[in-house]
Amino acid sequence: MAYVATRGGERAIDQSERLYRAGLGQIDAARVDEIRRALPMLIDRVMGEASLYEPDLAALALAQAGGDLYEAVLLLRAWRTTQPRLAIAEAVLQDQLFTHRRISAAFKDIPGGQILGPSLDYAHRLLATDVLRGVPFIPTAVDPASVAAPAHQPSLAAWQKAQGLVADPARTDVAPDDIPDLTREPLLFPAERAHRLQSLARADTGGMLALGYSAMRGYGNAHPTVNELRLAEAEVRVRHPRGTVFSAGRVKVSQAEVTSKGKSGLLELGFCATLGWNEVKVISGATLDLNAPGAAKGSPVEEEFFLYHTEPVEASGFCIHFKLPHYVTFQSSLDALRGAKAATPAAPVKVTA
Amino acid sequence: MFDQGDDPAQPFDHARMLDILARADADRLAVLAEELLGGLGAVEVVQSRTGLVMLPLRDTVQGTDFHLGEVLVAEAHIRAAGTEGYGMIVGRDLTRAMAMAVVDAAASLGQTPAIRAFLRREAAEQAAADNARLREVEATRVDMETF
Repeated sequence: MAYVATRGGERAIDQSERLYRAGLGQIDAARVDEIRRALPMLIDRVMGEASLYEPDLAALALAQAGGDLYEAVLLLRAWRTTQPRLAIAEAVLQDQLFTHRRISAAFKDIPGGQILGPSLDYAHRLLATDVLRGVPFIPTAVDPASVAAPAHQPSLAAWQKAQGLVADPARTDVAPDDIPDLTREPLLFPAERAHRLQSLARADTGGMLALGYSAMRGYGNAHPTVNELRLAEAEVRVRHPRGTVFSAGRVKVSQAEVTSKGKSGLLELGFCATLGWNEVKVISGATLDLNAPGAAKGSPVEEEFFLYHTEPVEASGFCIHFKLPHYVTFQSSLDALRGAKAATPAAPVKVTA
Repeated sequence: MFDQGDDPAQPFDHARMLDILARADADRLAVLAEELLGGLGAVEVVQSRTGLVMLPLRDTVQGTDFHLGEVLVAEAHIRAAGTEGYGMIVGRDLTRAMAMAVVDAAASLGQTPAIRAFLRREAAEQAAADNARLREVEATRVDMETF
């Protein structure tokens, strides 16, 4: 690339980085701890996009990046490459998820019932300005029910398949080692479904919202209704050297199914899931998945379009690389422009009759 | 589910024990591991490291297993007293993983009353924490009416 044909400026570059970091001040364990405890939604978003689940590291990345999400995701993706892959866990099934929230906008009386869980869906959005005057905001405690909610619920799609409302395609078991993996293989089109869903799980929330929203507004093939939205924790089930399968702990996951009436007389479904709790991301992703079949080339709901354009590190990296010196390429454009101008014959002189 | 641990004479099966150890309180686990370490003699550390576990999830639409992303874990693997011990926990706390491996190794030689008492207490605390959360979650159950 042309910007390598520059040299010099070492001192300025060094001072520039110092100026940036000086603005962020000292970063210590207390700051990282406060970010992790105070901003769980942001931590979840960064972990999902980085495709690396570790809240302390996500908080550190945010502290170091001063809250720049793309820098934080890049730091985590880069750090991830220093770690060995120890295992592939057993695939998580929906009826094994420890469920905190499960709602449907399509069906009122879903089996297992509607559980709002932690949500601001029906809350007034009022800024607690008293906090700035020194009056702390103290949340009111939940009044727990006398009985516990069921920890595990099947997916709504499983119930719909049993009712004959949605297609139930035959599936074949794939060994964990044989599940396609984008961190080791290129994304090719048409994408394998495992690649599409993995790519959506790692994708940029804002990018997915923009493209998903375009489909929701009518630039797609299908208008989504949320079939099921779920916030849960998944067990990470690994194998002991003696063969015993056990849970090494839980991680937060979110998933959405969206639906629309298909031409076949059945309901059609789109799916998306990610690490961490991020509702906008999974609803947008499921909308893209729902709209992808038969999408026109170059439309925002075509899988090649939305998968390529929502990869956060590649997209942000390509955008900001345009700031780096392009003197040689741009000089070449200027030369071409001047050459064309010089070669253009002067406008003919009008001769009056 | 059969609630292991109600009968102090019954040992915990291996999977249940590992589940409990991986979620056990870090400080109490470390204390138990310290107590058990003396009985194991010389310990060879085969592995003590952090690393990644890829987590697949099954898509509900077509039943496709796909990778959600990687989870950072701490892993410990030891050999001692003619047996092996293994620990893996979500997170990067190598001490917790090592304590789990020590308890696993000791338990493979026989679940002593102290180990069983520890597992019973931790299992009860974990069940209580889940129950408290699920009672809060149940309070958000909604019955919508349409007009």
